[in-house]
Amino acid sequence: MARLPPSLAVPWAEQLGASLPPLLVEAERVAATVMPGLHGRRRAGPGEAFWQFRAYVAGDLVSRIDWRQSGKSDRLFIRETEWEAAQTVALWCATGPGMDWRSSKEVPSKAMRAQLLLLALSSLLLRGGERVRLFGLPRPFAGRQALPSLAGALAQMAPVPEDPRIARHARAVLFGDFWEPLEETKARIGTLAAQGVRGHMLQVLDPAEETLPYAGRIRFEGVAGSAAPPALVPRVEAVRELYAERLARHRAALAALAQSAGWSFACHRTDQPPETALLALHQILAPA
Amino acid sequence: MLTLGPIAFAAPWLLLALSVLPVLWWLLRVTPPAPKRQDFPAIGLLRDLPAPEETPSRTPWWLLLLRLVAAALVILGLARPVWGPSVAGRGDGALLIVLDDGWAAGADWPDRIAAAEAALANAARDGRRVALLPTAPAAAPEGVRATALMPAEELRGRLAALRPKPWAPDREAALAALNAWRQANPGPITTLWIADGLEHSASGDATTPFGEALAAAGNLTVARAEGRPTRVLIPPRAEAERLVVQLRTTPLPVPSEVVVLARTGDGRTLDRAVLPVPAHATEAEAALPLPLEIRNQVVRLDLDGTAGANATILLDERFRRRPVGLIAGGAESAAEVPLIGELFYLDRALSPFAELRRGTVEQLLQRRLSVLVLADRPITDEREREALARWVQEGGTLVRFAGARVAESPDGLLPVPLRAGERQIGGALSWERPQALAPFPEGSPFSGLVPPNEVTVERQVLAEPSAQLTGKTWARLADGTPLVTQEGRGAGRIVLFHVTANADWSNLPLSGLFVEMLKRIVSLSAGVAGAEGDTPMAPLETLDGLGRLGPPPPGAQPLAASRFGEEVASPRHPPGWYGSGTAGSDTAQRRALNLGAGIPAPRLAAALPASASLQGIGGVPTEQDLGPWLLAAALMLLALDLIASLWLRGVLGRGALAVARALPLALLLALPTSLAAQSPQPDGSAALATRLAYVLTGNAEVDAISHQGLVGLSDFVNRRTAAALADPYGVDPGRDDLSFFPLLYWPVLSDAPQPDAQATAALNAFMRQGGIILFDTRDEGSGEGFAPGARQALRRVTRDLTVPPLAPVPEDHVLRRAFYLLQDLPGRFTGGTVWVARDQDRANDSVSPVIIGGHDWAAAWALDARGNNPYAVVPGGTRQRTLAYRFGVNLVMYALTGNYKGDQVHVPAILERIGN
Repeated sequence: MARLPPSLAVPWAEQLGASLPPLLVEAERVAATVMPGLHGRRRAGPGEAFWQFRAYVAGDLVSRIDWRQSGKSDRLFIRETEWEAAQTVALWCATGPGMDWRSSKEVPSKAMRAQLLLLALSSLLLRGGERVRLFGLPRPFAGRQALPSLAGALAQMAPVPEDPRIARHARAVLFGDFWEPLEETKARIGTLAAQGVRGHMLQVLDPAEETLPYAGRIRFEGVAGSAAPPALVPRVEAVRELYAERLARHRAALAALAQSAGWSFACHRTDQPPETALLALHQILAPA
Repeated sequence: MLTLGPIAFAAPWLLLALSVLPVLWWLLRVTPPAPKRQDFPAIGLLRDLPAPEETPSRTPWWLLLLRLVAAALVILGLARPVWGPSVAGRGDGALLIVLDDGWAAGADWPDRIAAAEAALANAARDGRRVALLPTAPAAAPEGVRATALMPAEELRGRLAALRPKPWAPDREAALAALNAWRQANPGPITTLWIADGLEHSASGDATTPFGEALAAAGNLTVARAEGRPTRVLIPPRAEAERLVVQLRTTPLPVPSEVVVLARTGDGRTLDRAVLPVPAHATEAEAALPLPLEIRNQVVRLDLDGTAGANATILLDERFRRRPVGLIAGGAESAAEVPLIGELFYLDRALSPFAELRRGTVEQLLQRRLSVLVLADRPITDEREREALARWVQEGGTLVRFAGARVAESPDGLLPVPLRAGERQIGGALSWERPQALAPFPEGSPFSGLVPPNEVTVERQVLAEPSAQLTGKTWARLADGTPLVTQEGRGAGRIVLFHVTANADWSNLPLSGLFVEMLKRIVSLSAGVAGAEGDTPMAPLETLDGLGRLGPPPPGAQPLAASRFGEEVASPRHPPGWYGSGTAGSDTAQRRALNLGAGIPAPRLAAALPASASLQGIGGVPTEQDLGPWLLAAALMLLALDLIASLWLRGVLGRGALAVARALPLALLLALPTSLAAQSPQPDGSAALATRLAYVLTGNAEVDAISHQGLVGLSDFVNRRTAAALADPYGVDPGRDDLSFFPLLYWPVLSDAPQPDAQATAALNAFMRQGGIILFDTRDEGSGEGFAPGARQALRRVTRDLTVPPLAPVPEDHVLRRAFYLLQDLPGRFTGGTVWVARDQDRANDSVSPVIIGGHDWAAAWALDARGNNPYAVVPGGTRQRTLAYRFGVNLVMYALTGNYKGDQVHVPAILERIGN
C-alpha cells in the first residue's frame, strides 16, 4: 500500500484536521519576498483591509485621491490598504520501499501515515490561508480547494528534501523514518538551514522497528531496492535490548542535529492515532 | 485385479512401493530447514551484533508427516483403485447390451445410459467384446438391427450418440434381429437387457418370446427402473371455459399427483393443472379453467418433470379456430343496420374471439365451420335442411334465434317442438310484467354466470311441454318457461334461443351476459382443423424422445390430413407438427400428430423368464475410479508442503503479497496501454480539472509570460472565489482538443501566421460551443507602439474565424459586473478599447465568443516562482495591478457562468425583498 488514492486520502485528512482550528503559522520574520496573504504586514501595500489615509504628495496619481475623506477638510488624502502576506510552509515526506514496509496488516505503512499527516497538516494550513508547497514542485498551493490537487501532486514530490526554490524564512516540515546514515541527514538539514529555512522533523516508525518483536534464527534483509547486505541473527530475542539501545542513540543523534540547525524533532509510531502527532505539529507551528 | 472390501486395485503390484516410505522418512528427517527470512528497513541497526549460541533445528514432525502422506497417496493413486466395482455385465463370452430406447425411455434416459456404460467399463477392463441392440426401430431404412461385436471403447461412442426415440420399441423386429445376430455370432454370450418394462403391442404379449430368446442365448441380466410409473398424456377434451387434461398411467399402489403445464409457443407457462391419480388407477383427468382467448395461446401441454414424447401434447387448430357462420332471416342489408339489425349484436359479441363468416347456407357449409348462427331464419328448402342436419350430425353446433318468422313456421331443426305463435309477456294489452331470468341450472354450460336483474324478456316463443323439456333446457325465465333449449344430435347439437338476436323481444342482447353465453356456446363447439381429406402434410417440426421440438429426422414422411386421428407415431411419422401450404399464407395449415393419441394405454409387460437376474438402474451411483482423486489430493498436499516450507523460511508473507499485488496490476496496465495507443488524444489530464489555456505562439518568451500570467490569475481566482482552477495549459489549436477549456488567451504577435484549415475548424467549433477567446495585441492605450504590426496580424489571424460584429464593451456589460464592478479593464497597459460581440446571441447565453483588446493582461497577472510580479504596470501603481487581477476574475467568472450576473429576471423579486 504505497499511497492512498487522493479520493480516499483527502476526505480522511480533512476529517482529521477538522478537529483543530485553522493553522496560522507563526511568522515573526516575514521578509519582503513573501507573497500576499493573510498575515497583516503592518504597512501599506496590496491588500483588502483599510490601513490608513495619508496626505497626498506630488507624484501620486490623482485617481488615487479619496475624495470623500478629502472633502471633510482642506487637505487631500489617499486611502491605503494594509499589505497582507502569507507564510509558505514546505512539506516533504519520504518515499521508497522502506517507507512502504509494515510489520503486520493491523498497522498502516509508514508512507501512508506520513502522507496522511502531511495532507492533514496541509488542510489546516490552507484553511488558515497559508501557502503550502511540496519539495520539488515549482509552485506553492493556496486556497481552500487546493487540497485535492496537492494530494494529486504528491507523486511528483522530490525523493530527497532538497529544493533551492524555497524562499528564505519559509518553514519546512519533513516526515520520514530517517534511517539513512546520520551524515546524509545532517547534510540535508544543513543545506536547508543555510537557505534560511527553519523546520521540523517527524520520524514515523513502524512499531516493529521500535520493539523488534521477532524470535528465533532469522536472516534480516533490507527491503526491496536497498543495497544493504543481509544480517543473520541466530537468536533475535537475545539482541533485543542491544537494538533498543542503538535505536535510542540514533534518535538522540537526530534530535541533536535538528537542534543544532535550529530545527525541532519528534517521533511518531504508526500504531498510535495520527491526531496525537498532528496536535503536536500544530503546537510547534502555531504562534505561541 | 485385487479386491479389498469395496475397493479394488487394477494394478496391485504397485502397492509394493509403500515399503519405501520409511527410507523416505529417514532422508527427510536428516535435512535441516533453512533460516527464516525477514525484511526489515532498520537493518543498519542490526549489523555487527555480537553472536550468542546457535540452536540446532530440525524439520518439524507435521511437515514430515505431510510429505509422507503425499508420497503414500501417489503410490495408491497409481495402483488404479476403483470404489465399488460394479458387477453389471459380468460373465463369460461377448457382452450383448439390449436397450429399450422407445418413448418410455426418455424419462430416465441418463440412468439407462449410465447402466450401459457401467457394463461397458467392466467389459473394457476384462477385455471382452461388446455388441448393442436397440429395440426401437431407427430411421426408416435401418429398422431394428444389432451392431457387430466390437471393443468396448468403440461402442462407447455409439452409445453416447444414441437418443431415445419418440415411438414405441418393436419387440417382434428385435426378436428377428436377435436371431439374425445369433446366426452370425454363435459363441457364448452374456446379455444385459435395459428394459422399460412395458408391453408395447396393442394386444397380446410380445415381450415374453423376446425375453425367452435372450435367456436362451446366455446369461441374462435385466436392468429396469423399479417403482416408477409410466404416464402418457392424451389429447384433452375442450369444454366451455375449460380444457380437460387427460392422462393414462401404469397403476401405482399409492395415490400420487401429476402436474400438467399449459405452455405457449414461446415457452411461457400460462397455467398448471394438478391431476390426482388414485391408487391402482390407470386414468386421471383434471380441468384447466382457461378462457377462450387464453386457451387460444396454449400450444402444448407438458407433464411437469418428465421428459419424453409421451409427456407432451401439441394442440393444433382444432383446439383454437372457431369459425362461426352468421345468417339472418330477413334481407341482408337490413340485418346489418346498427342497433336494430338482426346480426348487429351477434357480430359485436362474437367478433372478438371467433372468426365470423357470412353467406348462404351452401356457401358456409363448403368450408369447415364450428358454429352456425341462424337469426330468425326458418329452414324451408329441403336440400338445405338435409345439408344442415348432416353437418350437425358430424359435429357442428347450430345456434338458432327465434323471431316472428320462426314462430310462424317451425321446422325440424329445432331442439324442442314449438307452439305456434309467440307469447307476449309485457306490453299495453297484458297484465303480466316482463320476465327476468332465473339462475342457470346446474349442468348447463352457463352455470356460474349470474343473470343481471335488468335483463327482461317481453316476448318469446314457447316450447311444447314434454317430459324431456327440463333436461334440454339451459336457461329459463323466472316463471320457469325455457329461454334457451338444446338437443344433441350425433356429434353436434342444436341450440335455440327463444328470443330474437336483436333487442325487439328482450334486452338480453344488450347485456354483457349475452356475450358470455355466446362465448361459452362457441367454446363448447368442436374446433375445426384447416385441411381435410387426403391433402399430404409434410413434417415441419418433430418431437424427439426427450420431448423437445426440432427439425424432422430424414426418414419422416408426409401424412394425409385425414389420417391424423388414427396414425400411430412411427419412424415414418414421428410425433410433431405437420403442415401444408406456404407458411404464413392464408392457406397454411398445421396439424399435430401426438404420440398419446395413437398408442394403446400403457400396461406392464409380462413376467420375465425365471433364469434372468434382476438389477435396478438409477439412484445409487455406480463404480468410481479413485486414482485421479488420490493423485489430485497428493498434488494438493505437495503444494501445501511448498507453501509451508516457504513460510518456514519467511519467504512467503511479503513475496506472496507482492506477487498477488503485482499480478492484477500487470493485467490492468496491459489493458489501458493498448487502449491508449488507439486514442487520438494521448493526454486526457486536461479533462480532470477546470483550467485556463493559452495559445502557444512559438515565441518562448511570450509563451512563458502567458503561462506565468495565467498561473497568477488562477492563483488569484482560487484565493478570492469559489472557483478552483488547476495549472494552465499551453495548447496548439487544431492539434490539441480545446473542448476542456472555458477560456483561451491568445497573445497576437506581429509575425503570427494565419491558422491552417484544421486549426480554424477547431477554433470555430470552440467558439460555437461556448468557449471564449481573449485576443491580446499588447499595444493599446498606455502601451501604444509596444508591439507594432500586431493589429495587422490580428486581422490575418482572425480572417477565417467566425467573429461576430464587435463593439466596445458597454458600460453595463456583464464583463464589468461578473464579480467586481469595474470602470476600466486594465492590464499591464490601460486606456485602450476592449471589444466584445455587439449583438446578443441567445445561442450561447449571449456570451461573446471573442474579447479583443491590447492591454497585455498576462504580463500584469504574471507571478514568478517566488511569488513576485516580474512586469511593472504602465503607468503604474498597486491599484492598476489590483484592477488587472479584478478584470481577470471577472473574465473567468464570465467564462464559467456566462450571463448569470446579467440576468435581469430576478430583479423585481430582489427589489421587493429589500423593501422597495
